[in-house]
Amino acid sequence: MKTIVLGIGNPILGDDGVGIKVVRELKKHLKDPDVKLDEAATGGINLLDQIIGFDKAILVDTIKNKNIRNGEIKRFPLGELSSSHSFNPHDIGLPEACKLAKRLGETRIPHDITVFGIALDKMQYEFGEELSEEISKTVPKTVDMIMSELDDDKKDPVEEI
Amino acid sequence: MKTVTIDPITRLEGHGKITIFLDKDGNVDNAYLQIPELRGFERFSQGRRAEDMPQITSRICGVCPVAHHFASTKALDEAFHVKPPAAASKLRELMYCGYFIYDHILHFYFLGGPDFVVGPDAPASQRNILGVIQKAGVDVGKEVIKHRAYGQKITAILGGKATHPVCGLPGGVSKGLDKEEVQEIKEMVKSCVDFSKFSLKLFDDVVLKNKDYVDMIKSDPYNLETYNMGLVDARNKVNFYDGMIRVTDQNAEEFLKFSGEDYTKHVSEHVEPWSYMKFPYLKKIGWHGLKDGKTSGVYRVGPLGRLNAADGMATPLADTEYKRFYETLGGKPVNSTLAYHWARLIELLYATERATELINDSDITSKHIRNPVGEPSEGVGVVEAARGTLIHHYNLDKNGLIEKANLIVATTNNAGAITMSIRDAAKGMIKKGEINNGILNKIEMAFRAYDPCFACATHSLPGGMPMEINIYDKNKKLYKTIKNF
Repeated sequence: MKTIVLGIGNPILGDDGVGIKVVRELKKHLKDPDVKLDEAATGGINLLDQIIGFDKAILVDTIKNKNIRNGEIKRFPLGELSSSHSFNPHDIGLPEACKLAKRLGETRIPHDITVFGIALDKMQYEFGEELSEEISKTVPKTVDMIMSELDDDKKDPVEEI
Repeated sequence: MKTVTIDPITRLEGHGKITIFLDKDGNVDNAYLQIPELRGFERFSQGRRAEDMPQITSRICGVCPVAHHFASTKALDEAFHVKPPAAASKLRELMYCGYFIYDHILHFYFLGGPDFVVGPDAPASQRNILGVIQKAGVDVGKEVIKHRAYGQKITAILGGKATHPVCGLPGGVSKGLDKEEVQEIKEMVKSCVDFSKFSLKLFDDVVLKNKDYVDMIKSDPYNLETYNMGLVDARNKVNFYDGMIRVTDQNAEEFLKFSGEDYTKHVSEHVEPWSYMKFPYLKKIGWHGLKDGKTSGVYRVGPLGRLNAADGMATPLADTEYKRFYETLGGKPVNSTLAYHWARLIELLYATERATELINDSDITSKHIRNPVGEPSEGVGVVEAARGTLIHHYNLDKNGLIEKANLIVATTNNAGAITMSIRDAAKGMIKKGEINNGILNKIEMAFRAYDPCFACATHSLPGGMPMEINIYDKNKKLYKTIKNF
């Protein structure tokens, strides 16, 4: 099974870059030819371009929802996202991009798209490369969660959605 | 006073908030757009190596990384007193055409177009790219995806990476093209020219042949008579990558023409207490509030601003379209905000034609793609981002480290105009307190036409653009909320 782990975020926008930091940290621990680690800056169509052709995609991104505490890590299938809108003002959202691709006959969309969302209680508006103390704690935790998920996938590769 | 809030804005994330104030009769008194700005870039860049700036600034915005990359690279050319070899300038411009190709295609088919192809009154769930395909057919959808990807591919071949290019260096570029790459780009570009023609035909069939749409385009609420700004070449034709900044007035006559390094002489920024956004204006006229006309220093940038600020397009097919554009819409300048969409498609055609010229240029495979840099000093770089004029201004110390950095981004240049367009659209479409989602979409159309990219283009999931409308009574008490989520 070919898997891509994609860190999404802006590495120069404080906590917004946590997804990128997670993937960079994973690089130090993970040596598996079947798992590709990559970074992305935007949502929607560009994201789809990056995950096409893989059996599974793990997206690591920040999430915002009034019911989730700052620094909480949530694992959920992409389909659970309520919004079909973009993460970016000049693009469509990934769920919408996937729908579009299917409609156009694309067959190489990962059958499993899982999100590891790290909750931020406020949007980031201040340039900086450092994570806040609270959010930097989520990096090793998220790395562990993803490592064990990848392990489980190896043990039980037939498990699909 | 009643207040209507659209928060956030559908399909254009960021945390923009449109607040509409109604008077006691339920008519629009005033409207404001509020957008949080990213802060601290100057401090963030201080002390960094100047040559890192093209990479760093391409991270500022998930929407226009290529524009920031080259505004930055050009500022460094100036700051290091070096002129890139002809081949390097052509490679940069070719890559820049690739960026315009994918960016304009994405906007027309995914963001702006659904309002016309599917209809402004269609339910929001259908007013998207899937709705466009429903109407125009799966084959059209495939072509859209294919050509957007071609634009990306061209950018990636030249830039190293599609989203965050790494090719721009002071005095040139780091990578040239080999013969196979030239061949590959030639084929893609050829196909892109045809697709641009098709897109203009589609616009003709769907929009221009529909009297309701043409009436809407020409209607008062979407009309704004500001100055117009854009880069022009030596013959005053539109240029995206280089040239002089030209400003034309309400009679389409040249009002100003200056090089990037003089921007501070001609443009200043006004601050409003209710907005994080700054409002640039022409110094010569001054800031006289959010109004249009000759006596207001507000100007517009982006596709319509560029077309109005120029005397034509530098390529033949686009120039023919340019003429037809003004003939159809009643002469120059065209002041309809919704005409941005047509202007964008004309620019798409120009980008593909210009890319054709560049890829067939004998210089394009030259190995001489970089000149040695001089001593570090100060530099201003200007390009046209897809959504308008973008300025980077750096002061370097003697070791080539950044002392000071100032940016004026495209959407900021349009801040005054966008705010007025929202207000005018609201005025025309909310009468006696009668409000529904269809009307609100028409207000958003005024805004979407500019294809604004907000610095707060953070991508958080679900992020989403659930729309919330809060209506307040004259005592600012909430009495009604409409949500689409």
